[in-house]
Amino acid sequence: MLNKIKKFINNGDLRKVRFWIQLVTFILFVYGGYFAISFGSSFPIFTCPFNDESSAICYLISLQHQLAMPTQVIFSMASLGILIGLITFIAWFAVLNKAWCGYMCPFGTLQDWITALRKRMGIRFSTYTQNEFENLSKIKYIFLAIILLVPLFMGLGVLDREWTHAFCQMCPARIISPMFVGDFSQWTIDFSSITVMILTGIGVAFTGLFFVGSFVKKRFFCFFCPMSGLHYIFSKFSIIRFTKEGDKCTRCGDCYAVCDMQIKDIADDVISKNILRDDCILCLKCVAACPEDDALHIDIFNIKTFSSTKEGFNKRMGIQKFKGSIDE
Amino acid sequence: MKYFAGIDIGSTSIKITLTDEEKNIIGFKTSASGSMFYKYAQETLDSLLQELNIDKNDLAYIVATGYGRKLYKEADENISEITANAIGAIAAAKEYGEIKTVINIGGQDSKAISLDSEGNVVNFAMNDRCAAGTGKFLDVVALKLEIGVDELGDYHFKSTGTPLSVSSTCAVFAESEIIGLLGNNHSVEDIVCGVHYSIAKRIVKLVKRVGVKEGIYFDGGPAMNEGLVNAIENELGKKIFIPKYPQVTTSYGAAIMGVDSYRYEQNL
Amino acid sequence: MSNNNQHKIESPKDRQNRHKAMEAIKLLNSIKEDFKSPVKSMDYFYDLFERVYCKNEALHSENVKVGTMCIQIPSEIIYALDGVPIRLCNGFYTDDEIGSDLLPQKACPLVKATVGHFASGNFSDKPDIVFSPTTCDQKTKSGAIIQTFGYDVIDVDFPRTKESEESREYFRKSIKEFTTKLSKFQNKKLSRKNLKASISKIGYAQSLYHELSKYRENTIVPILGIDVFLITNAFFFDKIDNWIEAMESLLVELDNRNKEKINAAGKLSPRIVYTGSPPIFPNYKIPHIIEQSDAIIVADETCSSNRMFNDMVAVDEWLVNDMLDSIADKYLKACTCPIFTKNDDRIRRIIHLAKQYKADGVIYQAFAGCTVYEMEQRSVLEAMEKAGIPILYIESDYSPSQHGQLSTRIEAFIESLKTRRRNKK
Repeated sequence: MLNKIKKFINNGDLRKVRFWIQLVTFILFVYGGYFAISFGSSFPIFTCPFNDESSAICYLISLQHQLAMPTQVIFSMASLGILIGLITFIAWFAVLNKAWCGYMCPFGTLQDWITALRKRMGIRFSTYTQNEFENLSKIKYIFLAIILLVPLFMGLGVLDREWTHAFCQMCPARIISPMFVGDFSQWTIDFSSITVMILTGIGVAFTGLFFVGSFVKKRFFCFFCPMSGLHYIFSKFSIIRFTKEGDKCTRCGDCYAVCDMQIKDIADDVISKNILRDDCILCLKCVAACPEDDALHIDIFNIKTFSSTKEGFNKRMGIQKFKGSIDE
Repeated sequence: MKYFAGIDIGSTSIKITLTDEEKNIIGFKTSASGSMFYKYAQETLDSLLQELNIDKNDLAYIVATGYGRKLYKEADENISEITANAIGAIAAAKEYGEIKTVINIGGQDSKAISLDSEGNVVNFAMNDRCAAGTGKFLDVVALKLEIGVDELGDYHFKSTGTPLSVSSTCAVFAESEIIGLLGNNHSVEDIVCGVHYSIAKRIVKLVKRVGVKEGIYFDGGPAMNEGLVNAIENELGKKIFIPKYPQVTTSYGAAIMGVDSYRYEQNL
Repeated sequence: MSNNNQHKIESPKDRQNRHKAMEAIKLLNSIKEDFKSPVKSMDYFYDLFERVYCKNEALHSENVKVGTMCIQIPSEIIYALDGVPIRLCNGFYTDDEIGSDLLPQKACPLVKATVGHFASGNFSDKPDIVFSPTTCDQKTKSGAIIQTFGYDVIDVDFPRTKESEESREYFRKSIKEFTTKLSKFQNKKLSRKNLKASISKIGYAQSLYHELSKYRENTIVPILGIDVFLITNAFFFDKIDNWIEAMESLLVELDNRNKEKINAAGKLSPRIVYTGSPPIFPNYKIPHIIEQSDAIIVADETCSSNRMFNDMVAVDEWLVNDMLDSIADKYLKACTCPIFTKNDDRIRRIIHLAKQYKADGVIYQAFAGCTVYEMEQRSVLEAMEKAGIPILYIESDYSPSQHGQLSTRIEAFIESLKTRRRNKK
């Protein structure tokens, strides 16, 4: 019986499963406010509160506000609030590890829909060269630094109120998320001060870049996403593990060929057991595209849950099944 | 009383050893292989049995080995000469100690075998493509120098000074090289010594391929040549054990295999 | 004048055909007769080889035959452009002798035989165009020699490293170039539908091989390694639909044999993983000796067998360029040919196969004159020693006269494996 369940899961049509989960979660998080649903303010995905009907608040904005308190306040009881916020964030995160990115984040889902449009039109995607990839990958940590340091400097009095949630002023999600409820008001450059002008100007520019970028590159924004970087720091605390069994891997590169994030290690590293990398969105496309039995698998509480199999590979790649299989 | 025969049909000579059920050597005989191995092997076996007054029906098990092993159809079993050589070496050197490396120089080939502490073959290397470094080479040299093959050892020890370098890659062309050396007024003793060192160098190279482990056993016809043994010991830098009857180690091993197989069959 | 002048002198072509037919039939008869419990479904393959190599039957007269010199030319693309891929690696001693006049004495016998075959021009299915990837030195240079015999030979750039991004990009470009050239030759354009269909078809053929391999993992193996070599060798030149059909019947029979526990080998036969220079029909000398010496080959790591079927192509977006890139990546990255600078993947694969198929030992065979396999020998031997897997290294070529020397070595190795097994108990 257990074998039947395992087979059913391992042979699953990942594309379909992912499509439906993403659709449901998109509606839930973007329009959940209409149903008075709320998931709190430490949510590990880009559920931007500038969208009034969002059912959760992106942790990054909360974090920036919490860290922006005057320095004396921070080193007092108020720090408890920051700690609680962080622990809530880690608790949410731990349930799905980086699969929040691949399955739950509405911003990620949006990019996947833009990609689907491009596919419909028969246009080829473009990729980064290895060098570009390695350099661009660092940008997310620069954003993360801005998120952590700018509020602290505000608390110190070095920077003033115009630097409030500086990252959000630059973030394309702030401009795009409200669009889903018909609110285009964020499409502005604020001229009240030079700083704000530059920050919101960057915001508008990034948004334009976002639309162009997501059209030609799969999951364009996720390379630069500071939330992704933050996730990776806490990935050890998750109940989900992404494991590779190196001696079963033939380094055929099938996983790399389908990876939206162009992660090379997934194909080339045959020594590490934990193959989760900082860019990974845990979309599981690689596990679905691996033609070897058990070379890649997702473990929940260290139990193998979804594993690469020859049979699953054949089914998903549209290769007919031999009726007299020894497994029957 | 049951007897067991090991028949080693080599390219140059046939060696037959008879043992009792306790694996002791009862007798042995060698003869030339010629062109009709099967016939000569049978004749040799028959004459050996006659000499020892053994009835053919008391022969419980026959194991054939060597290049011609598959031709001896009466054999109950056949095994490669590498396995047979290893088994024979361990048995023949029982009083000497543990054997880990076996060197064999035959009429037309040479081999090195590496054993583990239980006497199993773990690695082996063979030279069977080229006669340089085999008994054939010694035959050619002895013939050219007009001395007997069994005299080569004596001449070796009479050599003075450093051994000459005899570098032929081919045993056939060794003749030409020897003519050259004789022409330069080198003595027969020095040439013989040089030839021995040439063979020794080759064989040591072969042995290094399987790893030189102490407890070294040397057998095959040329092992009776003390000069050659001396050259090999010097090249290896280690002492080697020569059995009393070096020519029959492999056929002895085959006979021992026969005893084991017979016992295994009886226990089934 | 004596009567000796009356006899006719055979034409070179007839002589070559006769000798090749003799080589082929000798091996086929031995496989059919010398082993116990033969597999009935193998009759298709024995018959196929007899028709093609003894009776010189042409299989693809109505199709354009695209000759390939090595495993790295993607069959998927050739089928999608309405061609029939024919792998030209040659295993005949007769052709090797012809090639010996044209190539250095110490050259690889496989390349000599291939060149000799071209020189004689005696094909039942003559290639209309030949694609030659720049793999090992001898294959690379033989392209130009073959061209002098009047064949259309196109070089396909293949990198000597596979770790770097540069080599990945290089081969992707190379495959696009290959596609363009073949497209032009065929006067056809590559369509998304055709390419997807051919990827599926080849994928299906590969999955059938994987099914076959599952039976070889069992303790009681229902099919001999030499039969599997014939099957994979047939894929070089057979009509793919016929091959697939024959495989499907074979798998049904193997399922029955498996249920009835029919053993193709003996109860205590040591299990061998075979690797090294590819055994191409009829040069099955060494697998033949191995299985006649009471051992059984349960897996192999060679480009004439396992390597063709082991790795499959995965595509993310089914657009033509994406499919071409996926194909290029798989043919490069999954390739364990020793022409690369590093051979870690090959060593890992051999060790993995030895573990998965519970092998008792590995036999590594290199052609005398094959630089790459001979040079890799050391690293493979060291790796096997570290992993505790017994390995025998053997050198051979196509000449029929080495039987005694080869069988002594192989039998000694198998005897030592049997002893190990017995001692383990």
